[in-house]
Amino acid sequence: MSSSPQTPMEAPAPGGNAIVFDNVSMTFPDGTEGLKGTDLAIRPGEFVSVVGPSGCGKSTLLKVASGLVRHTGGEVWVDRAQLGYTFQDATLLPWRKVIDNVALLMELRGYPAAERRRIAQEKIELVGLKGFENSYPQRLSGGMKMRASLARSLALNPAVFMFDEPFGALDEITRERLNDEVIEFYTREGFTGIFITHSIPEAVYMSSKVVVMSARPGRIVAQFDIPFAYPRHPDLRYEPEFSKLSGEVSKALRAAIEG
Amino acid sequence: MSEIAKKAKVEVYPPQPVPTPPTLTKRLILNLMPPVILGIGVIIAYALVRNSLPPHRQFLMPSAGGLWELALGLPDFRRELLARTGVTIGIALTGLAVTIPTAIAVGIIMFRFYTLEKAIFPFLVALQSVPVMAIIPLIQSALGFGLAPKVLIVVLFTFFAIPTTLLLGLKSVDKNILNLFRLQGASWWVMLRKACFPSAAPTLFAGLKISGSLAVIAAIVSELFFLSGEGGLGQLLMNSKIDFKYEQMYAALIASSILSISVYLLFNWLGNRLFSHWHESSEK
Ligand SMILES: Nc1ncnc2c1ncn2[C@@H]1O[C@H](COP(=O)(O)OP(=O)(O)OP(=O)(O)O)[C@@H](O)[C@H]1O
Ligand SMILES: [Mg+2]
Repeated sequence: MSSSPQTPMEAPAPGGNAIVFDNVSMTFPDGTEGLKGTDLAIRPGEFVSVVGPSGCGKSTLLKVASGLVRHTGGEVWVDRAQLGYTFQDATLLPWRKVIDNVALLMELRGYPAAERRRIAQEKIELVGLKGFENSYPQRLSGGMKMRASLARSLALNPAVFMFDEPFGALDEITRERLNDEVIEFYTREGFTGIFITHSIPEAVYMSSKVVVMSARPGRIVAQFDIPFAYPRHPDLRYEPEFSKLSGEVSKALRAAIEG
Repeated sequence: MSEIAKKAKVEVYPPQPVPTPPTLTKRLILNLMPPVILGIGVIIAYALVRNSLPPHRQFLMPSAGGLWELALGLPDFRRELLARTGVTIGIALTGLAVTIPTAIAVGIIMFRFYTLEKAIFPFLVALQSVPVMAIIPLIQSALGFGLAPKVLIVVLFTFFAIPTTLLLGLKSVDKNILNLFRLQGASWWVMLRKACFPSAAPTLFAGLKISGSLAVIAAIVSELFFLSGEGGLGQLLMNSKIDFKYEQMYAALIASSILSISVYLLFNWLGNRLFSHWHESSEK
């Protein structure tokens, strides 16, 4: 629970954006600089992937954006009223059944029990976990756990959805299926997405914009607009234009790593 | 390549049929056989040691016949044993009723306030290392001969395991689970109730199991210096030793072991009922 010296004020983000980072830095108490001079602007309804070398501050970026940690310099504009957030692992509460896990955030937000149940049931069906409502997480596969985790965030109907490398631990086939599912939620619900990943094809496939971060302390060093229309088809991965964009992102990433 | 292939030893592996779940009787046998066999071993060893004793010292180890004729076979003694067991249970439970809520509260307070953890923990360790037996006369002089000194002794014995295990459990809750709660603006109290406490419950239960069985031992020890009045098994142990009624002393020992084991099994059973569906530590 980070206490903050200044309480945030309500102020529209510059340029009508959904999320704005203006010269943001984040120095940890031990002196580690997680972010330094980071500028980023995300329009409402954009889906932005962030790639960058390991340890460059991608998770820190999301933690600052979500308010889990308070940045130490610069300014951040973000609407946190309806925030979705998935972690690298599914982070299910092992002592709760799937349905009660999916209902957790609504419970914390004080939704009435009947509504919680109804929405949880609906989201469980949406992510294809029908029939597992009363299972405990222990019994689910890695992909199913991630689906439950997605359902839990979707239940709040997020306006801004942050993903911290959610599918890094999954096999490729499950991962690609979940990519399509997230795209489907995105096109249906129209949230603003920030998606951290180590996989360049995943970043290009899912996003309307890919952002490349430098080595620590992380800054945004390159941005690529991805012109493909939504919803996207899996065969997109084999199009020459897709390979060309992936190659460019990859090159920028290599440049970022080498400094 | 081909040389490796030539040396390769190919074996055929037959399938293993899907195991049918063991029946209740089979499970009982599987669970009861090992302790029963070991118990028989102990009895045989007891008999061997007893037979090797010179006859004038055999009173130290009563025979099964003696145990029956001079103790367990006597209806009066059986009634006394039962009543005393009740007294011992009463002392142990009263002690636990004091220990468990206070110890849990201390654990939670240490978890909430880091400075208090730093302050309290050394004293918990110190308390644990005090030889309680040695200070019983002191407790007696301070609190007299009623229930209070005995309950205090039980508390001294049983306290340590609970705040320590609880604190360990509370601290090892998944950080991202806490982040999840923080993102919804959950209060510390809600996080404690819905994240930390459930996550710590199996660890706490391990502590409760230890304290539970210690409570019986402590209740018996608490009486060793209180020999008047209608006491429990501890008093019976001392009095029968003083009167050279070794058979009755052994009967009291057996009763107290059964009591300790029952408490342990009770907590075990409860723990399995509560946690087996999600926690790896519990047996299926
Ligand atoms: N609480 C902390 N205190 C001190 N340093 C930290 C803390 N959290 C993160 N860091 C440091 O900040 C840097 C950025 O961390 P971060 O987790 O944001 O990296 P990342 O880009 O998400 O890496 P990965 O791709 O491996 O997940 C790292 O060097 C890390 O060691
Ligand atoms: Mg990270």
